[in-house]
Amino acid sequence: MGCTPAQASAYLTSLLNKTLHIHISDGRMFAGQLKCTDNERNIILAMTQEYRQPSRKDIERAAAEHEASGKGGNVKVDMKKRFVGLVVVPGKYVEKIEVEG
Amino acid sequence: MSEAISRLRQEAEEAKSAWKPRVKDITEDFTSASNQLEPGQLVKDEWFTLFEAVGALEIMDPKMDSGFIPPGDTFEADFDPATPVSLPELLWVMDQILCLEIMWHAGYALSQTVFTSLHIDRLLGPQQPRIPTLYSPTGGGPPENLTEEQSIGHAVLTAYCVAVIKCCDMVVGLVQSQNFYEEEDFVTHLFGRELLPHMSTNTIDGMLDGVIPRLEDFGNVGEDVKEALLLRLQFRSIFLGVLSDRTSEQQWEQMLGLLKTIKTSHTFSTPLPDAFSDKVQRQLATSTPPRPMLSTSWEDACTKWSNMCEHIVAVNRLTQSEVVYSPACLQRAVWAFSYRGEAFPLPRAIMQDILFGEQAIRGEVLPYDLLLADIRDLVLAGDTLVDPQSFQVEVTTDPRHICSRLIEGFMDKAIEEYLNLYRMMCQNRCRIRRTFTQSIPIFDAMVTEAKNVDVELQKITASKKLTDTRTGKAYSLDPLSSWARFYKLRIMAWTIQLGFETEIYLPDELGGTYWFLAQLSQQRSELLDRVLQFTIGRSFHVRHDQNAVADCMLSEKYLESLHAVSEITRLIAEALWKLFTLLTSTGVVAKPERDYASQQLMYEARMKPYLAVVNDPVPSAAEFDDATTHHGSLEQTCNEVDEHIKEAKQLLVGVKKMTPEQAKYLGTEEEWKKEVKGLEATCIAVAVTASQVRNAGKKYGEDGELATKLECKAERRWAEWWVVPVIKEKVSSQVALR
Repeated sequence: MGCTPAQASAYLTSLLNKTLHIHISDGRMFAGQLKCTDNERNIILAMTQEYRQPSRKDIERAAAEHEASGKGGNVKVDMKKRFVGLVVVPGKYVEKIEVEG
Repeated sequence: MSEAISRLRQEAEEAKSAWKPRVKDITEDFTSASNQLEPGQLVKDEWFTLFEAVGALEIMDPKMDSGFIPPGDTFEADFDPATPVSLPELLWVMDQILCLEIMWHAGYALSQTVFTSLHIDRLLGPQQPRIPTLYSPTGGGPPENLTEEQSIGHAVLTAYCVAVIKCCDMVVGLVQSQNFYEEEDFVTHLFGRELLPHMSTNTIDGMLDGVIPRLEDFGNVGEDVKEALLLRLQFRSIFLGVLSDRTSEQQWEQMLGLLKTIKTSHTFSTPLPDAFSDKVQRQLATSTPPRPMLSTSWEDACTKWSNMCEHIVAVNRLTQSEVVYSPACLQRAVWAFSYRGEAFPLPRAIMQDILFGEQAIRGEVLPYDLLLADIRDLVLAGDTLVDPQSFQVEVTTDPRHICSRLIEGFMDKAIEEYLNLYRMMCQNRCRIRRTFTQSIPIFDAMVTEAKNVDVELQKITASKKLTDTRTGKAYSLDPLSSWARFYKLRIMAWTIQLGFETEIYLPDELGGTYWFLAQLSQQRSELLDRVLQFTIGRSFHVRHDQNAVADCMLSEKYLESLHAVSEITRLIAEALWKLFTLLTSTGVVAKPERDYASQQLMYEARMKPYLAVVNDPVPSAAEFDDATTHHGSLEQTCNEVDEHIKEAKQLLVGVKKMTPEQAKYLGTEEEWKKEVKGLEATCIAVAVTASQVRNAGKKYGEDGELATKLECKAERRWAEWWVVPVIKEKVSSQVALR
């Protein structure tokens, strides 16, 4: 996206208070409202929820239960989610950014 | 209408189906846009402040991010709560939970205490059935081939942990129902967990009752271990019971008794540290950095439990019936409670619950009756104005009816702040001082209010005036404003002495502070003296009414005790004012370099809580300055100090003879003795310092020399509320000073 600094700033401003999904290098994802960012892609999110891939144990447990229940098809395991509030995600860990809506 | 409803329903349906939000990948756009920003340039929401930003948790920082997993570590703890445990291991787990629980009571978060138990974590986890189990809620029942011992172990552990959780739940409820400061005193935060709100205490009690006989009947274990486990179940059952029905006071003493045996039986346990892990914090909702799991010694934890139970036993002792009917005794009781060593929020909440929980104190004394009794005991003993019967008179032209309404009007305005005198004492010491400084202007405004009511009362009752023997001026009692003024002056003195206790004054400020304290005490003594004269006069006036005379006599004794204490405070304060001023002016007490402070600024900073006072305005900066400049010779000052101390000691002899009924210290006899002893010790310490200073003066001369020869430490060794200078020869010139 070739654009002027003014356009870049306007674009980022338009994202303020939107809910972003920030995926980071350890596999977690943070969903919260964008409050602040800078030229290093450090991102401050408010009202943030942390999502984590289910652990190996979770999957084993779910698989065992699925088998016991005798249902066919795929096993579905939910992401682990918890509230963490106001966070700053340092730019160097950011791998993917998504916006809701 | 129906259209609107169907539209709303449709919208709700849409909202429901849209819960999985559509997202758009903007990684590239975002990255290239942020690359265009200048270094240091921020794009931020205008309402979002950098101050807030400081509070944000930094993701991937091990100290900040509770979800960070160090390389090579696993997300969850390895221990599975469904693992069979031996009974000695079970004993250890129960004791460890007991340790963590008391640390939570002492002010740490659940996330670093009780919640680190993997058993409790499992029981509080998602998808648990109504009665939670240690077994994976999704992975079916108990492991196969459990032995009887292991099966009993799991049953005991489940019942015990569920009971612990319920106890925590009830403690949170109780503490939150009263005044406390989150994080500062206690952490009620549950980190997104619920403490089994759907389970009743009866159900849990039933679980405990169910496992006890199973354990009792089980033979294949040492009697010691079995006995130890049963004790803990019994302890838990009592704690649960006493939290849900707090009328059963003697149960706290039962718990105290059990704690002694519980403490010694810990030796039969086998450690199982894997059953606890701070990794649970990775799954707890929290906006705080990770906190380390607490470790405490078993002895320490037992002592803390005992202390807490003792505080609660003391609450009940201190608020006995004979006490709650006397405002003076009850105030002493809350002070005594506040000074009982290590503070726990639970006893404080129970104290407040007794004082304010139901409409009446201990269900017996209405707050208004307490206030009226206070006014009566202090300024209007034996007077029909405060006779409860006067308040029943319904004839609107009756002067008693008119006066009662006036007094009621005043009490309406005074009651809230008056009750704060009791409530504030259930906070920590710094809070107490701070809230008292805030109540000074409120009591000052109360004096103004009371003056108006006094004028109205005077018009109706035309009560007697007395003549000041010195000035020849006539003055009236002005009961309500005298009452409010007494409290205001006393609170002002309290804030100063609480300041000594919390060490907010530097040594070179102590001279001036003591001078101010002496001034306030002097005003209080004069006020009490006047009130006493009126009470003596009234006792003659009402001599036909025996009850009224008796009331007057009691009040006279009480006023005499208050007067004596006020005078003792004044005398010691004057002695210390003179001593500190002398030591500061000779440089023995050094003044620190203060580049930006002027005398005026120092005065304003220290006098801030008092500057807003309108009635009895505080001394000006110039007066303060003058008082803290040393006048006269060293010898003369030391003689004056001796005089003051001598006088104070004489008054203390009288105070020691006062009975609990006279000086109103029923229920707090021990504390009274301790206070008197503290004052005596302070007097001696001041006299010792004065004589050392005198000797040093003779030896080294009065001026500059002293500072090079002597060093001074301000100490509070003799009484919490008195800072006394302690003199020592500097090492370089160590020659005996005696």
